[in-house]
Amino acid sequence: MDIFSDLVLGLSVAITPMNMLYLLIGAVVGMIVGVIPGFGPSAGLAILLPLTFGMDPVGAIMMLAAIYYGSMYGGTITSILLNTPGESATVASTFDGYPLAKKGRAGPALVMQAVASFVGGTVGVLMITVLAPMFSQVSRSFGPPEYFLLAMMGLMTLIVMIGSNWKLGVISALIGLALGTVGVDLETGQGRYTFGSAELIGGIYFIPIAIGLFGLGELFYAFYTGMHRAGEGTLVDYRKETRFWPTAHDFLSTRWTMVRGSILGFVVGVIPGAGATIASLMAYSAERSLSKTPENFGKGEMAGLVAPETANNAASSGAMVPLLTLGIPGSASTAVLLAAFMLWGLRPGPLFMEQNTELAWGLIASMYLGNIILLAINIFAIPLFVLIVKVPYRLLGPCIVVICALGTFTVNASFIEVWLMLAASIVGFFMRMYGFSPAALVLALVLGPLAEQALRQTMTISRGSFDIFFERTASLSIIALTIALLVLLPLMGRYGGRAKTSSKAKG
Amino acid sequence: MRIVFLLALLSGAIFYSYIAFFDLTFLTRTGRIGPGFFPRLVGGGMIVMTLWAIVDALRDRRAMAAGGAPGADDAPSGLWRDVIVLLLLVLGYGVLLRLFGGYISTVVYLGLALFIFNPQRHLQNTAVAIIFPSAVYLAFDRLLNANMPPALFNLPF
Repeated sequence: MDIFSDLVLGLSVAITPMNMLYLLIGAVVGMIVGVIPGFGPSAGLAILLPLTFGMDPVGAIMMLAAIYYGSMYGGTITSILLNTPGESATVASTFDGYPLAKKGRAGPALVMQAVASFVGGTVGVLMITVLAPMFSQVSRSFGPPEYFLLAMMGLMTLIVMIGSNWKLGVISALIGLALGTVGVDLETGQGRYTFGSAELIGGIYFIPIAIGLFGLGELFYAFYTGMHRAGEGTLVDYRKETRFWPTAHDFLSTRWTMVRGSILGFVVGVIPGAGATIASLMAYSAERSLSKTPENFGKGEMAGLVAPETANNAASSGAMVPLLTLGIPGSASTAVLLAAFMLWGLRPGPLFMEQNTELAWGLIASMYLGNIILLAINIFAIPLFVLIVKVPYRLLGPCIVVICALGTFTVNASFIEVWLMLAASIVGFFMRMYGFSPAALVLALVLGPLAEQALRQTMTISRGSFDIFFERTASLSIIALTIALLVLLPLMGRYGGRAKTSSKAKG
Repeated sequence: MRIVFLLALLSGAIFYSYIAFFDLTFLTRTGRIGPGFFPRLVGGGMIVMTLWAIVDALRDRRAMAAGGAPGADDAPSGLWRDVIVLLLLVLGYGVLLRLFGGYISTVVYLGLALFIFNPQRHLQNTAVAIIFPSAVYLAFDRLLNANMPPALFNLPF
């Protein structure tokens, strides 16, 4: 089938009353997750994943994906009105978003961020539509050696992006790999680190760890930094303005910014480990370099808001490509999405789109629809999200604990897993405090068992020789790509980081 | 404090490696990679990297004592008291969940947590402590048919 007929099939799967309802719920929840500072998409996805068990797989995956890309939309509302990014990918949106609001242009800034997010998200999905089948085709020749190398590439690129704390990133990844070895060894039947516990025979479950690290761990850190003692902050009142809608000049002056941001964001998003945060910072830097008036950046320039917004949404779409076609998540959020696929008995990889045509294309089609829904919600439901922003953290925090604990329990009705989640939250708090990377830990926990299995299969095929990695063209290509990324990614990170530094200097 | 955390990680890494080296076999009887192969790599790597991070932390500490700037990964000073109170509340909530089930324990935990962190707003706290668990119960138990923690001791009301 050609792409167009696949997409029509996908639309026919996605457009049912129940699926549209799930999509709407996912979009709204994603927005809420994005709006709450210190509560990112990884935590939101991990907590809400068990609640989808009773649902139809297509609707559940569509809803979880909507939470993931919806959080990119929501995070910017607080960036513009409160100068506080809802999550790390919207940090760059504060640079010009908040100055725009202070200049009395909060309304146009909110609408333009919604439009930019929509354009970025939609261009991203268009690129998935075209590129994902091609990626699947290429990766069909992959065997265990390539899968092992891909898993290592995902981990290494993530660690490299951590920057100066890379050693702590490696330790985080090793902790994740170590946790991934717990349970019965499937090849020999020998128990590893189970200590006679029946609960540990099946291994350490991924969801409690993710909820503990990203949900409760972040909450402890928010309390540590005193977020619960802060007031409402200086929330800009967008309703006092005479003009809510952007001018024609706002659209015309940023049309190419949207195109550049979308393409750059998507490309960065496809690279495992790089992610939406780097994409948005790079797009901001690139836009300022290309601007005829770079001195206006950081003082309320519309292009300075539009560039990171298109990039972070396009990047979140881009991250779906390696997930769907290789089964390799590039970030903690996509790792949770991979866990969701696995819980439904689905294994993303080269044959995924061919063997699960309806689900794969239904998901892609739902992303087009999801972006339209999010655009409408973003513009017309702003008062609702402003209301959520106004809820003090001292009220919100204790309620998040309840959602985390009950969300964990619902997975397997296990109290042990609730305690495991609590233990992970304490470790997560210290990791966050001392510069470790909870994302690397979670990614390693997901990729570790896959990598170990692939390595053992590889060694069986090669009769114990590591030369196999250098004898196969596909393996060699992945090694070359990994080396190139390990060199390029720190440079990209530094380029994006310049935007942060110069914005701080101005602010 | 960072060093204490790193030392805790190091002891965990040593324990993990000890089992990998002494309890798990490197190769199977047929000469294939055994269950201890991967854990030995991971454990060895963890020990080396944690030791390296400890040396860095000690060097940072010495530099700070000599009047230098704190290291990049030094924690900012924060509200320890509030974190410990929240942690105790969360642990207490874990125990309550087992004893009294999802609904009652959530009402008790939320009431206490809000009394501490949101003081002098008794009406608001009472409302949240009752309405939120009710909404969660309805959403989880009735709407989504998800498992809510059952009580070990059912209350007579």
